[in-house]
Amino acid sequence: MTLMPMAPQAALAAGVLGTLSLGLMRRPPALALRALAVASIAGAMLLAVGTPAGGYASAILLSDAKSVGWQYLIYLGALPLALWLDGTDDVLTALFLGATLGMSLLAAAANLPMLFIALEFMSLPAYLLVARSRPGARGLEAAIKYFFAGGVAGALFMLGLSLYYADTRSLAASAALSPLGQAGAGLMAAAALFKLGAFPLNWWLPDAYEAAAPEVSGFLSTAMKSAAVLFLMRLCELAPEAGFIRLLPAIGAATALTGAVMALRQERLQRLFAYSSVANAGLLIIGVGAWALAGRSAEGVSALLFFLGAYAFMSNGTFAFIRFSGLETRSQLKGRGAAVPAAAAAFTILLFSLGGIPPTGGFMAKLLLLWRAVDAGLLWPAAAGALSALISLAYYLGMVRDLWFEKADESASFRPAHGASLVVACAVGVLLLGAAPWLMSSLSGGLTR
Amino acid sequence: MSHPLTILWAAPLAGAVVCAVAGSRAKYAALGFSALFVGLIAALGFAQGSNAALAVVNEIGPVWSYGISYRLSADSLSIGLIGLTAFLNLICVVASWELEVSPWYWACFLALASALTGVFLARDLFFFYVFWEATLIPMFFIIGLWGSSNRLHAAVKFFLFTFAGSVFMLLALLALVSAHHRVSGVWTWDLAVLDASALGSAAPLVFWGLVLGFAVKIPMIPLHTWLPDAHTEAPAAGSVMLAGVMLKMGVYGLLRVAMPLFPTLSFDALPVLGGLAAFSTIYGALCAMAQTDLKRMIAYSSIAHLGFCLLGVLSRTSQGLAGGTLQLVNHGLTTGALFLMVGFLYERSHKRGLADFGDLASRAPYLAFFFGFSTLASVGLPGLNGFVGEFMALSGALAALPILAFAGVLGVTLAAAYALPAFQAVFWAPAGPGSVSDKVTDLDARERAVLWTLSALMLWIGLAPRPWLAYFEPALRGLVR
Repeated sequence: MTLMPMAPQAALAAGVLGTLSLGLMRRPPALALRALAVASIAGAMLLAVGTPAGGYASAILLSDAKSVGWQYLIYLGALPLALWLDGTDDVLTALFLGATLGMSLLAAAANLPMLFIALEFMSLPAYLLVARSRPGARGLEAAIKYFFAGGVAGALFMLGLSLYYADTRSLAASAALSPLGQAGAGLMAAAALFKLGAFPLNWWLPDAYEAAAPEVSGFLSTAMKSAAVLFLMRLCELAPEAGFIRLLPAIGAATALTGAVMALRQERLQRLFAYSSVANAGLLIIGVGAWALAGRSAEGVSALLFFLGAYAFMSNGTFAFIRFSGLETRSQLKGRGAAVPAAAAAFTILLFSLGGIPPTGGFMAKLLLLWRAVDAGLLWPAAAGALSALISLAYYLGMVRDLWFEKADESASFRPAHGASLVVACAVGVLLLGAAPWLMSSLSGGLTR
Repeated sequence: MSHPLTILWAAPLAGAVVCAVAGSRAKYAALGFSALFVGLIAALGFAQGSNAALAVVNEIGPVWSYGISYRLSADSLSIGLIGLTAFLNLICVVASWELEVSPWYWACFLALASALTGVFLARDLFFFYVFWEATLIPMFFIIGLWGSSNRLHAAVKFFLFTFAGSVFMLLALLALVSAHHRVSGVWTWDLAVLDASALGSAAPLVFWGLVLGFAVKIPMIPLHTWLPDAHTEAPAAGSVMLAGVMLKMGVYGLLRVAMPLFPTLSFDALPVLGGLAAFSTIYGALCAMAQTDLKRMIAYSSIAHLGFCLLGVLSRTSQGLAGGTLQLVNHGLTTGALFLMVGFLYERSHKRGLADFGDLASRAPYLAFFFGFSTLASVGLPGLNGFVGEFMALSGALAALPILAFAGVLGVTLAAAYALPAFQAVFWAPAGPGSVSDKVTDLDARERAVLWTLSALMLWIGLAPRPWLAYFEPALRGLVR
């Protein structure tokens, strides 16, 4: 038995320790901190590429197609934040790497206690990340709200786990469940749905996303969301007979519609994209439901992988544009396209992609996911997901209109920061995924075969 | 040149890229690529003739798992509609020649032509849908960036409304592909292979999902409310492409996708769909009658005209199908000419209300001649193109379900009741107190050349429709009930 499959996690742990050691210096060298963060994430990603899927399985940790595939997603979602970190704050860097390590452990967790440990490992640094990334009363308030919501999720999971254990005498997979075990599995699923911001457990999410620095919101909505989706999938695998699985399509449909409708009236951009993130979580939950109900096929996994991969570009790109432009509200977008044409054009592509317009990766992602739902016979959840995409298009198009068709308010100051290239890179990413979707699916096909 | 059909849609797209980077020379690039596009489709059309057995097929596939393959084919229906696209695109470029616009204007038109060509070529439903949606993006920018006062609202409304229809179309396609896989074990999006009988009892749901997507585009009452805004606010050339080609996508979708896949269901739906089409002809005409804005009036008249196309096509008789299809081309030519002339008027006077003009016939005789000519073609004067198409479409409807033909005839009568008084008010009536007629100069040589071309075609189709009907016939033969 070899420990090689755990090499990516080891790289991240080394990154955390290295960051904290650098922090012992009176004035930690900024460049070294940044380089360490980027190197840890990129190194973990490279090591994950070298990890053979299915090469390792123990009672608590495993390496299978999903654990490797989801590690790609997590590192892909985390990389932009590593590039943004200014490097003067060693604690922030350590928190970020710690949260990523937690997600990475979650991807490799094989039984329920390990899932819980990984869940807490990724959540605790994330609360502090929200509070610290943008100092002030609002950030603190949001972080405390986030912390309590996360605490509730953790408690639900613990309670569910004890009920489940009382019924099955097992901490791993179990087929038949008594009502007690059903309740336990349902409570554990509630914890995962909490993390995803599923309806009606989504009240904490917009506050947290709005208060954090935009790049941190991007990290939460991509890497964290990927991890939470896998969390839900692992629960479906461990308790395949659980009743909550049959509820997932309906919960997903309600979440997708709530997120899209709530985003319609938002004026602040970060809050708007927080609700948009809820809407996308709804689609993902429908996708997980379709996968779990239709025999847990490889196609279902690759549809979810593709969606999350495309979303990693879209969401990180939009939050990167908010960070780059310094714009806070929708009305401030008006007429700014001409001032920063390249970044604004990239942002426009990302918006079209989020709206699911071909030929972008966002279109392919929605197509594959809804297709899985239709194929599993979930016609009404699929229709609700499509309706949510339609509603969300209203505000995505509205932003394109504001950006290009409106006149700018010349009296207001507009000083874009550095980092337009990241927005452009994300837009190129979604265009590539749209034009050549088989790049991604051959990757995930190789994994899930 | 092993892939002539790929070149056909890629050439305008390449043109769009060239225009975008060409700076101040963009319009020359646009003219060059538009002419090249016309040349390519003409060459293909002449090479193929109307022999359906020679229909060109280009295929790479399957390009991806799930049976998605890149499959293009061009029969006479495709080539006819691409020809219309290429021709109107060139007309639009020439008609917009003097506008002071950014290079993106030309790029958007060429990108639109490329996407439209893809729609008419694709025989794999995945690519059909991708091209179908891709047409929305350039038109969204054409309306939003170069439209008139209410363009912001109109652009978003246009996009959302048509996207709403396509979403249902996509769900229907997914259900169809999945059902086919369940029954046959084969993943495919190929229109020629897909068998709708696999759907079983879900077939009506899927059929109506498809129809909903196409009906928004046509637009069929009551899904038409995006059209007046979009057509009125778009720049003149944008309206030409919208009315001239984009509305035809809906009828084309019925002909290419919905009818071949659901031959029985689509005929059973005749009372409902045909009833809505007949109602469209009357309702569109009545709305047009009430308009005080010339452009808005023409926009509503499009709803009525597409109703005639639908009546013919839905009847599934040979004369109805031929007339309805010919009427697609006719409407592109006549309404295109009318929108262009309103655009010329607007460029000169910045007005387009019926009450803003009067006595224009003496100031701008050429404009009066062409406007009158196109109006007569539009209301169906025998000897011009509109008559042939409407007559055949209505006789097809008469054979299938007579009541529809009676309603359609009422629509024809009403068309004269809005179009002729409008012509009279603008060109013959004495100028009123607020008239801006004195600002209107007559058409220059470039504008006259554009309109001569369009008028010559209207006359040609009107006097000698036989070659045109014979050209489309092989592609429609299989649809006759």
